Amino acid sequence: MKRRQFILGAAGLFGTGLLVTACGTTEKPAAANKPTTEPKGEITFWSSLAGLDKVTEAFNASQSNIKVTFETIPNGVNGGYAKLATAITAGDGPDVSTVEYPQLPQFVSDGHLLPLNDLIDTAATVDKLSEQIRGQVQFGDSIYGLPYDAAPQILWLRKDLLEEAGAAVPTTWAEFEEAGKKLKAVNPERYLASFNPNEVPITAALAWQGGGKWFTTEGDQWKIGINDQPTMKVADFWQKMIDAKIVKVQQAASDEWGMDLAQGNVAGVLGASWSARSLQKRVENANQKGAWIAAEMPTWGEPAGAFYGGSSFNVTKGSKNPAAAAKFITFLTTDPKAIEARGNGGSAVIAYPGLTAVAQKAFDSSFFGNDIYAVFDAAYKTITPGWQWGPNWEITKAAIGDAYGKLGTGGTVGGAITAAQKATVEGLKQTGLSVTE
Amino acid sequence: MAIQAPAAPVRRKRTATGNSGRTAALFLTPFFALFAVAMVAPVIYSIWLSFFSERKSGLGFGNPVTTFVGMENYVQVLQSETFLSGLLRLVGYCAMYIPAMVGGAVVFALLLDAGVARARKMFQLLVFLPHAVPGVIAALIWAYLYTPGISPLVQALESGGIQIGFLDAHMVLPSIVNIAVWEWTGYNVIILFTALQAVPREIIEAARVDGASEMRLSLAIKFPLVFPALGVIMLFTMIGTLQLFAEPMILSKATSSITSTWVPNMWAYDAAFNRHNLNQAAAASIIIALLAAILSFVVTRFSNKADKS
Repeated sequence: MKRRQFILGAAGLFGTGLLVTACGTTEKPAAANKPTTEPKGEITFWSSLAGLDKVTEAFNASQSNIKVTFETIPNGVNGGYAKLATAITAGDGPDVSTVEYPQLPQFVSDGHLLPLNDLIDTAATVDKLSEQIRGQVQFGDSIYGLPYDAAPQILWLRKDLLEEAGAAVPTTWAEFEEAGKKLKAVNPERYLASFNPNEVPITAALAWQGGGKWFTTEGDQWKIGINDQPTMKVADFWQKMIDAKIVKVQQAASDEWGMDLAQGNVAGVLGASWSARSLQKRVENANQKGAWIAAEMPTWGEPAGAFYGGSSFNVTKGSKNPAAAAKFITFLTTDPKAIEARGNGGSAVIAYPGLTAVAQKAFDSSFFGNDIYAVFDAAYKTITPGWQWGPNWEITKAAIGDAYGKLGTGGTVGGAITAAQKATVEGLKQTGLSVTE
Repeated sequence: MAIQAPAAPVRRKRTATGNSGRTAALFLTPFFALFAVAMVAPVIYSIWLSFFSERKSGLGFGNPVTTFVGMENYVQVLQSETFLSGLLRLVGYCAMYIPAMVGGAVVFALLLDAGVARARKMFQLLVFLPHAVPGVIAALIWAYLYTPGISPLVQALESGGIQIGFLDAHMVLPSIVNIAVWEWTGYNVIILFTALQAVPREIIEAARVDGASEMRLSLAIKFPLVFPALGVIMLFTMIGTLQLFAEPMILSKATSSITSTWVPNMWAYDAAFNRHNLNQAAAASIIIALLAAILSFVVTRFSNKADKS
């Protein structure tokens, strides 16, 4: 206990710039924006994102002062965050971590990450970002991560199945319902998409796009609005889609899900820009080349969109060399070489301006039946501003996910949302935060 | 699988005290050292943790403060609806699992001992084989067998006109019981069979001479004589039940019927690794351990009494 308190305390001091020497490094991180001395040394980097090993190699080859050791960890669903949080708490975490936006406030409020304001050149990094994406990594005045990708939610569709049913690519939710009905008229066993109880971030993105605001701050208080009116409208719509069997309730990325896609039982995926690679992997043996297209999410009338997923890179509190770590994450998020080096690893929309074109060049999207990056660009421009993630996303996620377990036996999407509101308020109060509804 | 007791060679006699005490200490030290480091220390640390809380305030973006909160974590765990319904689920699990598994094990063991199965060694091995499959792997295999659309089992049942949603909300508990029965029956057959082998042959001979049938022999003579072994099995099963984790955790990837806090151990896992509330997780773990201790005590008392009467 004492040791841990000491580490946390020391890290806290370090964060505020009072304690400038930590084990191993003698450089003083400059107090002003631009670090004056060249950081040196060895650092470690954990991520579950594919292809970052190659990016790390490219960084190591590009200079000789900093040597980064990369380690692949499981993704969040499979225990990656458990590993990361435990390691940081125990004092042997990596110097650089990868945290998705929904989880970032939790890592910040647990005191796991260092504020970057004094470590990075803010003018050359965060100041160039869009307001929407910057809002994902900045809390108060402090910046806790550099955004890597800014993943707009995307509707992936089987163009051929829609054509067969005589349905157009839906641009509004009413058209979505219409297309689903037409699809079922051709084959009653067919679904337009699946509703994924295990992917609560999809629900959040749908609520975000519908105008919901689950977490906002009012002075020194969190205001929880998971069951706000726009979200309930979205929930009721999806309940209607489930009842009409236009969407199939099933776990995303499960074997059943993969089989339904491969066999054409399900004609769409609620995904994001990064889904391209995993989707292609699931169906490429099913002779569906050219059949899948990316589409902007249907809207409620006004252009609107949401981020679904996306990751930031952070410097952890246990880091012995924050200056080097900050230099490395700046490279990861702003240098075209980093994006190039990732190669065909993923179809990312990069947060830093101008880099998405580089990512596009590196990614082979010939499997798809339309220009997916053009759709990503369009979707990126419509992201609804003002969404913030709460201080403990896992509480909300678990509450919704658990209530979704009853979708087959009388439970509703709206019921899950209401349950999550209650659980979140109670859970956050238990940790001592000030919360209002 | 029968274990042959090595003939104990009679060596030079040693003086009882002094020398042997030192030898005992020598042999026991590694055990106690490991026990202290891997068992006692973590338990004490958990108890310590469970009385504290990482308090946040306001928006929570300052550093959390470690505060002594007494029993508050315990109260929160015991007031948690999800924790309690997890416990209740375990009661339902026991109600199905223990009769099915213990009953099956007794029947198999008696059959083996009665020599009904000709190829006894072969049969023994077959019964034990599922236990050789690690629990996580077993759960993965069963998850595959339960998933509609890809499972040959579900498909075969459907073609026979039977529709079972193994992973539906109301069926998922029996489905997990099935995995556990499949996994543990063979193991317990071996324990019971070993106990049966130890039944004095004179008693059985005497019963035979008195004209008891094999059935009567099994039920009236052998079965009561393996009660102590049955007590041991109950004890292990109870503790094992409280630790139920791997199977539902794996199945939760395949179905939304299993919540993130489905059984108490998953509740503790969720508290520690998803909600990052190590203190609450510690309190939950201590509660689970206490329950296991109480259950063990009750079961040993019960089986000791049964033994004496």
